[in-house]
Amino acid sequence: MNRRAAIVAATLLLLVVVLCPVLFIAQMSVRTGLEAFRMPPALVFTPTLQHYVDLVEGKFIRSLMNSTVTATSTTLLALLLGVPAAYAFSRSRFRAQGVVSLWTLVTRMAPPIAFGIPFFLIYKELGLIDTRTGLVVIYLTFNLSLVIWMMRAFFDGVPRSLEEAAYIDGAGVVTAFVRIALPLSAPGLATTAIFTFLLSWNDFFYSLLLTRSEALTAPVAIVNFMNYESWEWGKVAAAATMIMLPVVALSIAVRKYIVHGLTAGAVKG
Amino acid sequence: MERITRRRFLKSTALVGTLSATGVRPARTLAQAGKPYAGTRLKMSQVAHAYGVGLVERLPAFEQQTGIKVEIDQMSFPVLNQREDLELASGSGAYDVMQLIFIRSGRWIGAGWAEPLNPFIDDAKLTDKAALDVGDFVAGAMAPFKRGDTIYALPWLSDSTVVGYRTDLFEKAGYAKFPETFEALQEAAAKMHSRQTAAFVTEDNLHWIFPNWLLSYGGNFFANPPGDLTPTFDTPEALKAAEMFTTMLSKYSPPGGIKLDPSVAQAIMHQGKGACYLDGMGNTQHIIDTKKTTLADRMAFTHTPRGPKGHFPQLAVHGYFINKASKNKNAAWEFIKWATGKDQMLWSALNKGHLACTRSSVLANADVRQKFTWRGSDLASLHLAVMKRAGEGYMVYRTVPQFPPVGDRVIIAMTAIASGQTNLADGMKSLQKDAEGILEKAGVKINRRS
Repeated sequence: MNRRAAIVAATLLLLVVVLCPVLFIAQMSVRTGLEAFRMPPALVFTPTLQHYVDLVEGKFIRSLMNSTVTATSTTLLALLLGVPAAYAFSRSRFRAQGVVSLWTLVTRMAPPIAFGIPFFLIYKELGLIDTRTGLVVIYLTFNLSLVIWMMRAFFDGVPRSLEEAAYIDGAGVVTAFVRIALPLSAPGLATTAIFTFLLSWNDFFYSLLLTRSEALTAPVAIVNFMNYESWEWGKVAAAATMIMLPVVALSIAVRKYIVHGLTAGAVKG
Repeated sequence: MERITRRRFLKSTALVGTLSATGVRPARTLAQAGKPYAGTRLKMSQVAHAYGVGLVERLPAFEQQTGIKVEIDQMSFPVLNQREDLELASGSGAYDVMQLIFIRSGRWIGAGWAEPLNPFIDDAKLTDKAALDVGDFVAGAMAPFKRGDTIYALPWLSDSTVVGYRTDLFEKAGYAKFPETFEALQEAAAKMHSRQTAAFVTEDNLHWIFPNWLLSYGGNFFANPPGDLTPTFDTPEALKAAEMFTTMLSKYSPPGGIKLDPSVAQAIMHQGKGACYLDGMGNTQHIIDTKKTTLADRMAFTHTPRGPKGHFPQLAVHGYFINKASKNKNAAWEFIKWATGKDQMLWSALNKGHLACTRSSVLANADVRQKFTWRGSDLASLHLAVMKRAGEGYMVYRTVPQFPPVGDRVIIAMTAIASGQTNLADGMKSLQKDAEGILEKAGVKINRRS
């Protein structure tokens, strides 16, 4: 019993340590400017929602919407294109398979800054600067490889014999993929989806480089609360809290699948 | 009633069709009388700042008066630096009016990215010279944006280094007034510094703070800017200045005092954890923000201390310029005239707390003087005095095209020395060598010393 209590205590302690920055930001978002940095901090204070009101009345909601649209679109498109590709890599055998699958990683072989300027110049010519479409395309370039490589591993874990049985019953490749392989890889799909969403949602570099005001996403919009004269800490904290909420909600919604996905194959001999 | 014949109908239709196809439309639909730029859409970039907020607030009046629609993108300073540099380098023309950043003025003007303003100023059809009153801009604020007689931008922000300090703490330590020299400040700091209250607070943009010491001790970044850009960080004067400055950072600053962004530095003063704060006026003035501190009635402001070679407060200026790639230059000029006009600047000073302004008439205004006098400190006079002093020309080192990378290297050196990662001699020697390398790579002829 004592051992169990110690484990619970250690877990709670670890939880507090891990959540400390999140809790700090959340409480700061409801403090006034005077209270935000008071030392020692007042544990009892009158909370204010003024920072949230300022964000709603300003342009931040538009940036949050841009983040939502681009991250969601990227995730859906990456899954739509990447999952069948991953299935093909998993099930097919062709001559240049190794080379082709390696080349899908090419956009991740160098830091984003290396591709930044070429992308900017191309986008300028194509009129894609400061558009959500432009961001979705750029996010796809590095998310597709993630989807392909992650999903391929999940498909590899699904026994081929199940699909072969379906073929005997008259199913085609598409039917076997959609009705057998895909449902069995659902945890992997959820895990991949959330990682893809997070990568797009938290992107700072490309949004900084390829947007101006119309397609500006939330991570860059937060930085713009750092005024020349002083930083608007209350707004920064409120915006950070707002950015975290959808991700937390999404993670909670699919947490069962994420755990399944992350531990898939862990107990297989 | 006149009957519309088939022939007349066909003629009218043909005429309208031809005019539409060639883009020629009756003058009145293009621009209403007195509004030659009606319908023009301008895009402008600037740092997130109270002055920009003021522009946005009063923009409807400008738009109604001119028919020009303006979209103002306000962004943080690091974002602005990156974005403007990229937009200008790519010749995108996405922004018509842009902020000319002081330390980038050499590069941007040199590259021909800024449209000269003289043709606009001298054209009586475009400018009422008396109303614009270019002479009203303080010379020190105009200097970085002029090359000879050619003006490339009109300044709206000039940040002058001053000191905000706690009178009660200095009085308690036996100082009736703030120390006037850096030596005296260091002596006072030794007496006052404690774990609870740091004697000295400043921001982490050390290439902006260090020159207050460097120039006052007879040193400089370069041998004779802009003609001779040989770095001079290895001189006895530079070494002494660096020793004095890094001692203030290492011994008398709060924990982590080398890396305080202005907001945190202000917060330290707000909480009563700092005795004095040396920074630009735009930052320093916020230590008396009564929404953030209960100690405002113990604060006062004064000039930065002097060194053996004199008093060299620093001045950073930002202006508005017309992007050379803009397709709406006349409308852009119309906007710049309004945005830097006396009326807008005075309104901003009185309603947005924009003390770091650039027009002498605004700083001399009685209401402004009254608003910005705090416990006997006349901030407007302080600011004006620094601008006039900087107008004598010693700030030119900051506007050479190669300053930004050298400045970044100075920050690294000061941080390394103050944090004990390297000793003073090695740190400055390394800085000298690297600065020489930066200039040589940029194709600048120097007299290598390392």
